[in-house]
Amino acid sequence: MSNKLYSIISKVMDVPESEINDQSSPENIESWDSLSLYMLIDDIETEFNVKFILEEILETKNVGDFKKQLKKHGVDINE
Amino acid sequence: MVTEEKLSFYITKSKKLNISDFKRQTRIALLSNFTLDGLAETIKVKCGELNVGCDTFYGGYNRYNEEILNNKSNLYSFSPDLCFLILDIRNIFGDLFYSPYNLSVEKRKEFIQNKVNELVDLAKSFIEKSNSKLVVSNFVIPTYSSYGIFENKVDYGLQEMVFDLNYKLSNAWKNENSIYLYDLNGFVSRFGQNNVFDYKQYFFGDIKISLNYIPFLANDLLGFIKPVLGLNKKCIVLDLDNTLWGGIVGEDGFNGIKLSQNDPIGKAFIEFQKYLLSLHERGIILAVNSRNNSEDAMQVIKEHPDMVLREKHFACLKINWNDKVTNLQEIAQELNIGIDSILFMDDDNVNRDFMREALPEVLTVELPNDPSLYTQTLMELNEFNILKITDEDKKRGKMYLQQKERIEFEKSSINFEEYLKQLGIKIHIKKADEFTIPRISQLTLKTNQFNLTTKRYQEEEIMRFSQDKKKIVGCARIEDKFGDYGITGAFVVNKDNPEEWVMDTFLLSCRVIGRGVEEGILDYIVNDAKKNNVKRLIGNFIPTKKNKPSEYFLPNFGFKKEGNRWIYSLENHSKKPSHLLVLGE
Repeated sequence: MSNKLYSIISKVMDVPESEINDQSSPENIESWDSLSLYMLIDDIETEFNVKFILEEILETKNVGDFKKQLKKHGVDINE
Repeated sequence: MVTEEKLSFYITKSKKLNISDFKRQTRIALLSNFTLDGLAETIKVKCGELNVGCDTFYGGYNRYNEEILNNKSNLYSFSPDLCFLILDIRNIFGDLFYSPYNLSVEKRKEFIQNKVNELVDLAKSFIEKSNSKLVVSNFVIPTYSSYGIFENKVDYGLQEMVFDLNYKLSNAWKNENSIYLYDLNGFVSRFGQNNVFDYKQYFFGDIKISLNYIPFLANDLLGFIKPVLGLNKKCIVLDLDNTLWGGIVGEDGFNGIKLSQNDPIGKAFIEFQKYLLSLHERGIILAVNSRNNSEDAMQVIKEHPDMVLREKHFACLKINWNDKVTNLQEIAQELNIGIDSILFMDDDNVNRDFMREALPEVLTVELPNDPSLYTQTLMELNEFNILKITDEDKKRGKMYLQQKERIEFEKSSINFEEYLKQLGIKIHIKKADEFTIPRISQLTLKTNQFNLTTKRYQEEEIMRFSQDKKKIVGCARIEDKFGDYGITGAFVVNKDNPEEWVMDTFLLSCRVIGRGVEEGILDYIVNDAKKNNVKRLIGNFIPTKKNKPSEYFLPNFGFKKEGNRWIYSLENHSKKPSHLLVLGE
C-alpha cells in the first residue's frame, strides 16, 4: 500500500518517492500547502475508495497520519 | 461528455511551463471573494496548449474591491488583457443567505437593488481605469429554501432575490461593450450543485468550487480568452456518412440511410443537423469533406425529405475520392480562411488520426462512437465564442454564397482585366465611429494574411485611437455587383510628425485580396496625406508566419526601403487601379 500511497503523494507534491517517509509533512516538503493537501486528500479518497471526515483531515499532519487514517478505514496497509 | 484531468495534473504541469517560451502572450487577472487556488495555474496550462504564454494575476482572497477601486493597485500595474471577477452569493448575502425573511419584502428589494448598484459602479470603475475587458460571474441560485416547497409562494423569496439580481446585472451590461456576464449559475447547474459545492472543502478552506471542478471552470473561462486572442473557430468541416446521416449512402442507398423522425438513430442525426444549422445562422461557416460518389451524396443533400442542411448552407462541398487532408486544404484555400480556424468532424477515427497527424492546426473533434452523443459533443465545444456579433458575422453565410457566384463568373470571363472591370468594385472609406469600432478591432485580431504589421487591438484601444487627434483610424466597406462584403479593410495612421505620416496598421480581410482593393485604400491614404501637405508616408512590414501575401505590397506600390522603413515620397503620382471606385465620407 505504501507504494501506491507514495506514488500519489509523489505526483501531487512533485517530489521523488524516495524522499517520502512517515515524517514527510509541510515542514520538509516545500510544495505541501493547503491546496496541495486538499488535492492529495481528494486523490487518496478516489484511489483507495474511502471518504475521510473533516476531523480526520484536520488531524492529519504528516504521511504517517495518512497511513493511520487509511488503516482506520480498513485499507490493508501491507497489501 | 467532456472529461477532465484532476487539478493536481494542472498544478504539476504549470510548474514546468515557461511562459516566455511562447511567442504569443496574454495577461489574465482573476478576482474573487472566495478561494480559487489552482484556477490561475490551470488557465496557464490550457493557454500553453493553445501556444499562448499566459501570465496571471490572482487578486488575493476577497480583495476585489480594493484592487478595483484603488487606481494604484497591483491589478492595474499588472495591466491585464482580460479580468475575471468571480463572486459567490454567500459572501454577498452574509447572514441573509440563511435568514432573508428577517427583512421585509421592501427591504429585500432594496438590498438587491443596492447590490446591483454596487457591482455596476465597481465594474464601471474598472473599465474607466483599464483597457481590459471585464467578465463578472452571475450568482448561483440556491436550490435550498427554508420554506421548502412553499418557496415559490413567498413574495420575493431567497431564490427570487438571486434570480432578480442576475436579471438586473444582465440588463445593466447588455449594451456595455467592455463588460460581460459569465453564467456561473449555468456552470453549476450543468455539473450539479451537489458536485460542485463540497461542504468539506468549504469548511476546510473556503473552497466554493471543489477542486476537481476547477479545470471545468477554466474551460468555461477559456471561452472568453480565446475570442480575445482571436483563436475562435470560424468553420466546421463535416464528413457525411455516419456523421450527418446514419449509414453509407453508397452502400445503403438513398432510402437506406438513417435520417428519419421515426427511427431513434435517424432522430439523433436530425438533431445534430438542427444544431449545426443554428450555428450556420449565427455566422459559422459549414463545409463538407467526404469520400463518396458526388451524385449519390448530392442527391441526399438536395432531395432527402429529412435533410435539415441543404446545399445553400454549405460554403464549400468537397465530395470526391481524394484524401481528406488535401480536400480540407482546398476548402481553406477556397474560403480564404486559416487552417487553424477550422474544426473537423468525422466519425472515422482513422480519418481523424490522419488529419491530426497531417494538419495539427485543425481542431479535429473526438466524435463519440454513438451518434446520440453528437449534439452534446458539439454543444460542449467552447470554440465558437465571439465577444461581439457584427453585421459581417450575420451576413457571412450569404457572403460565401455570393463568393461561389463570383468564382463561377470569373471562370466564364474572357480575361482577368475584363472580369475586374465587370465586377464594379466600390470601396467606401469611413472613419472609425461607434458602429465600426467593434469590427475594426475584430479585423485587427483576426486578420493574418494581408496584414502589414499584425498589431492586435482590443475595442477599447481602437476607441482611444479614434479620439486621438494625432491618429487616423479608418475602415473600408467593399461591394461589387454580387453583393456587399461589409467592412473588410482597416488602417491606423500616426500623424505625430506633420511631415511624415506612419502607417501603424494596414490590413485587408483575405476575402477581398487580389482585386486591387488594397491599392485603392492606400491611394486614398496617399491623397489624404497630400491634402495635408505631408511629405512622406512611412510603411512597415513586420513578417510573420502567415503574412507572406502582403510581403511585396509596399515595394509594388512604389515604396522605397530606407533602413528598416518603407518610404513613399508624396511627390510621386500615385496610381489607383482604374476598375475601382473609391468613395470617401
